[in-house]
Amino acid sequence: MASRSREWLAIAAVVAVGLVLSFAVTERYHHRVLTLVFLWATMGLAWNIISGYAGQISFGHQAFFGIGAYVTVLLAAKLKITPWLGMLGGVGVAVLAAVLIGTPTFRLAGIYFGLATLAYPLIFRIVMDYLGYQEVAIPMMREQPGLFMQFSEPRYFDLLALGILAATLVLSRIIETSRLGYSLRAIKENEQAAEAMGVDSFRCKMIAYMLSAAPAAVAGAVYAHAILFVVTPEAVFGVLVIVQTLTVCLVGGAGTLWGPIIGAAIMIPVSEILDTTVGDRLPGIQGVVYGAALMAVMMYAPEGLYWRVRSMILARTRRSVGAARPAPTAAEVHATTPAVPAGARSVLMDVRGISKSFLGLQALSDVSFDVREGEILGIIGPNGAGKTTLFNVLNGFLLAEHGEVHWLGKSITGLQPHVICRLGIGRTFQVMRLFPHLTVLENVMVGAFAHGASPDRARVSSLAALDLVGLADRADVVPTGLTTLELRLMELARCLATRPRLILLDEPLAGLSTDGVELMALMIRRARAAGVTVAIIEHTIHALVRLADRLVVLDQGRRLAEGLPGEVTRTPAVIEAYLGTRWLARHGAPQHAEDLRP
Amino acid sequence: MVASELTQYVVTGLLVGGVYALMSIGLALIFGVMRVVNFAQGDFMMLGMYLTYYYAVVLGIDPLVGALVTIPPFFVIGLLVHRVFLARVTGGGDPNREMDAQLILTLGMSLIITNATTMILSPMPRAIRTTYATRAFAVGPLLLNQARTYAFFMALLLAAAVYVFLTRTDLGKALRAAADDPEAASYQAINVRAMHGVAFGVGIALVAAAGGLLATYYPIEPNVAVNFIVLMFVAVVLGGLGSIPGAFVGGLAIGLVQSLTLLVLPLQLQNVGVFVAFLLVLYVRPQGLFGRRARTV
Amino acid sequence: MSLLARAVTLALALLLALPVAGPPPAVAVDDVKIALVVPLSGRWARQGQLKKMGAEMAIEEINSQGGIKALGGAKIVLREADAGDSVEKAVSAAQRVLTREKISAGIGSWLSSFTLGVTEVAERLQVPWLTLSYADSITERGFKYTFQTSPVSSAQAEQALDLVVELAKRNNQPIRKAALIGDNTAATVFFFKPLREKLLQAKGIELVVDEVWTPPLPDATSIVQKLRATQPDLVFYGATNFPDSIQVLQKVKEFGVKTHIQGVGAWLVTPEYVKTVGKELLDNIQTVVAAHPLKGQEELVKKFVQRTGEPFMTQDPLCSYAHVWLIKEAAEQAKSADPKAIRDALAKIDLTTGPAASTLSPGRIRFDERGRRIGAVPLIVQWQNGEPFTVVPVNLATRPVVWHK
Repeated sequence: MASRSREWLAIAAVVAVGLVLSFAVTERYHHRVLTLVFLWATMGLAWNIISGYAGQISFGHQAFFGIGAYVTVLLAAKLKITPWLGMLGGVGVAVLAAVLIGTPTFRLAGIYFGLATLAYPLIFRIVMDYLGYQEVAIPMMREQPGLFMQFSEPRYFDLLALGILAATLVLSRIIETSRLGYSLRAIKENEQAAEAMGVDSFRCKMIAYMLSAAPAAVAGAVYAHAILFVVTPEAVFGVLVIVQTLTVCLVGGAGTLWGPIIGAAIMIPVSEILDTTVGDRLPGIQGVVYGAALMAVMMYAPEGLYWRVRSMILARTRRSVGAARPAPTAAEVHATTPAVPAGARSVLMDVRGISKSFLGLQALSDVSFDVREGEILGIIGPNGAGKTTLFNVLNGFLLAEHGEVHWLGKSITGLQPHVICRLGIGRTFQVMRLFPHLTVLENVMVGAFAHGASPDRARVSSLAALDLVGLADRADVVPTGLTTLELRLMELARCLATRPRLILLDEPLAGLSTDGVELMALMIRRARAAGVTVAIIEHTIHALVRLADRLVVLDQGRRLAEGLPGEVTRTPAVIEAYLGTRWLARHGAPQHAEDLRP
Repeated sequence: MVASELTQYVVTGLLVGGVYALMSIGLALIFGVMRVVNFAQGDFMMLGMYLTYYYAVVLGIDPLVGALVTIPPFFVIGLLVHRVFLARVTGGGDPNREMDAQLILTLGMSLIITNATTMILSPMPRAIRTTYATRAFAVGPLLLNQARTYAFFMALLLAAAVYVFLTRTDLGKALRAAADDPEAASYQAINVRAMHGVAFGVGIALVAAAGGLLATYYPIEPNVAVNFIVLMFVAVVLGGLGSIPGAFVGGLAIGLVQSLTLLVLPLQLQNVGVFVAFLLVLYVRPQGLFGRRARTV
Repeated sequence: MSLLARAVTLALALLLALPVAGPPPAVAVDDVKIALVVPLSGRWARQGQLKKMGAEMAIEEINSQGGIKALGGAKIVLREADAGDSVEKAVSAAQRVLTREKISAGIGSWLSSFTLGVTEVAERLQVPWLTLSYADSITERGFKYTFQTSPVSSAQAEQALDLVVELAKRNNQPIRKAALIGDNTAATVFFFKPLREKLLQAKGIELVVDEVWTPPLPDATSIVQKLRATQPDLVFYGATNFPDSIQVLQKVKEFGVKTHIQGVGAWLVTPEYVKTVGKELLDNIQTVVAAHPLKGQEELVKKFVQRTGEPFMTQDPLCSYAHVWLIKEAAEQAKSADPKAIRDALAKIDLTTGPAASTLSPGRIRFDERGRRIGAVPLIVQWQNGEPFTVVPVNLATRPVVWHK
């Protein structure tokens, strides 16, 4: 696609500009500034992989930077190993550290994760001082300077730094366009929804973390040789490193590979210019001006310069005019229930004796039923009956205390949500869980990735799913502009993109007008006709009565009734649950289900 | 190890922790209500130390009292800083995106405050000479440094006052409502933005007071914050974000761990003990000691 | 983007396009430029400013006395660059100042890690560099352009121990137990190492307390508790971070520990100590330094005090004062302002007269092939009634030593 190759061209252009600058600049000090820009941009890009793309804000990325620096320098100083090889050692140790740090720490969310990651470089700093490495001067190798990454010509440092920047840009872009990239963005936007769409979020985060540690280590190694000449724990494990990284990324804009480049290209020269022009003569003023610059940028472009400029350019959003509603086909209008009688269908999911309590409140009590292939099963009950809790158990978000769930004969009790998704059970949510900064198409693609599709195949099958629900024309819009109906349709499409055999729909009709309800019902029937079994939670009976083949009624965590809609709605116990004993006593069993409006 | 020696370690740790605790409450309040990570928190503490110094040296007010007197001016400063700068980038509803902006914003503030102070007041360290900084209360075999003991009790008092304020007064309850659920709070006619301002003001005032108490035994210079800022954040997260009692306990815990670590690790690795303990607590209780478990589906 | 933001972006873009340096004040073409790379902002700004004061005083003296005679009365000009508070900034400052103009020699940078980085730049750019840093590592790299005028830490340890033991013996209070307490900064580490490993043992002194901490120190109780329990006769004390050192001193007073404190380094004799802990607490505390006003330098000290308003003169300004004079002498001998020539002159200099030689004990300046000053000896300085005085060696002392337990 044109926009994709455009990105690669832009990357090539940036590298070309870097090359030109390396050769155009003559003064030694200016070369140093250029090297610093490239190095901090690289570090920013590395941070961006885990913190920008995956949304796991790390305050401890300098751990890898410092590991790269120390391993390389110590190998050179003690064992005379060339840093070109030593760097690989640094990367290896850093990636290992990423695994060791990430494994226990990914369980933490938000700023807990961020500060836990900070603890590690702080510990490393103290340990390095303790081991006697408080000042490791890089020994000057006059005989073989190139072999030891010691260039008297500063241009070579520029080129080296530019090289690792280019490599990290390429890495970032590959991640962006790969399945991993979509999964990461989904995790960032809404981790639980991502899990429900089949994304193994732990694995994705870990891969991202490892991929982000490697360039950070390389940046650290080169920084030690090109900039510091003496490695101290403060200089490579210290807070100033992460502060510089954050500055570069957040001023430029997180979550995009252009952010760190823009941030570094602006803030580092500004800082150096301030040092040069006023700092030496009026020490301290450069800190004040730089701080003011940071504040100014954040007040006027809080999301970062890249996003700000981009949203200005794209300001003519596609706030579309009312879209045409997909109309039911003639065949669908006249469709009756499928030929196979309900009782003869095979059992897909067998729920046996599920019980779940929260803090002493019994949410579910010995609930059993089955879901049969090709049916539309309605699960109804008054508010607080435990319906959503039931779905959360079925789908893996909650662990039941008693009971089992069997899928196609095998137990799925206690499996993780993304595993359950890949086994063929899809889910939508009562409170819609969108990925708000991804387009509609990208939202659906996250689901399509559940079956290992490549980005291209995922795009194709996602468009097909959108087509099915009539949202194809909304593919490139972000969800914030959509109506409730359109959002629910999108969620349905996303769920269908995971190619499920069974979908669990949690109150898909809530908040819709009569027309909307009609349309959703049509879509649900379409899905069933396409071979997907449906289990729906609703708490208004009359909507489901015409849609569902069978109903299961829950009340206060117990299964109250099960059977055909007509029967169930006349069961006194059910009526009592919805309308109360007094109503029942006064009115008796109703003739029509429509009368059962609580 | 003799029991009295162990007790001395515990007591020393608690006294050190008391002032950490007060420093951290301000940060916890700001984070709890506004979800703002205030990089400049330590620098406001530093300014509080200078103001207390001024009170002591020019006006002759004992720093223990001076610390309290920093509260009103810093509350006002906090309100203004929020109004002019922070309100622009926070309170909009998307905490993820906002975190980025306010991190850098407060970082910028920190740079300005430290450098301007260095330029205007000079980097020469200053100190308030108190008699009680070099005297100890002898309680049996234990020695309790007088300055730190006074500071500890003042910190406890202030923390209790904050707690009462948050739980018993209408304004405090409104603050907590704004923290818990800004949308619902606004439906109850609570001006969430104003609440943020109040939270920031109180948070800054508290850390300034902590600085004043610190100044009874610690020298004052523009970069003093760097010695404490990490510990402050660790205390807040350890206690559980948004929990005021949690931050207080977190601060005490850090002081305690720092002291008790010396029983097992060499002095050089003292803070390693703190960070390892921090990690262990988080791994076992990801929401911190007093934090609320994140909502599930 | 709002108008203001656009204006800001434009301004930034223009700045980027401009050539980097703002024009320095007008100088005559043949002026001799000396670089001073020290922290002038951030955590160590105070120390850097003190160094700058000393250098400026020397320059003013030299210029008013006719400049560098061998170069036709050329004046000396100071080019200071702010090393800030990170190695990156320090090395950047050095690069910046050494490439912007022709610099004949440089001085700096206070923190040994900064000095290591800065001297590497100076070595590559072939500009001679003078430093007062004590760390052994500074001159163990095979550099040709680095000149370390202070005795190195390990040598200081040996000499200081001899001096103190001698003093104690003369006062009938022989040293039997010693303590080492300090932080893990390079100079302290290099000083303590030989003491711990062999020197104390060689003198039959028992090491009873060995406590090293990573700055910042949260609380001094455990350390001073140990001192109180073991009652050493001598405490070597190396706390370069000001709040840390204050805490230990205060705690020593609080616990009533009576011992002889022997500081390691000039950080213990800055004026701020008097204002913060008071002169009573400081009385009789000694410290080992590389330089301090000696007998015969009273005029110099008076002049410094008048110029700067500082209560007294200490190692940092004194050394940069001496360094500037030393460079002047080298330039005279080399008859050139060329950095290489000055370097060669320094390498073979043998100076016994002039302000530089009279400042650096024992009054003779010669460098070995590593760049270390041959025969450099440390001084012992003692606080007496709120002011520090050189007490050892006795022939250079400005006050007699006071010794009591």
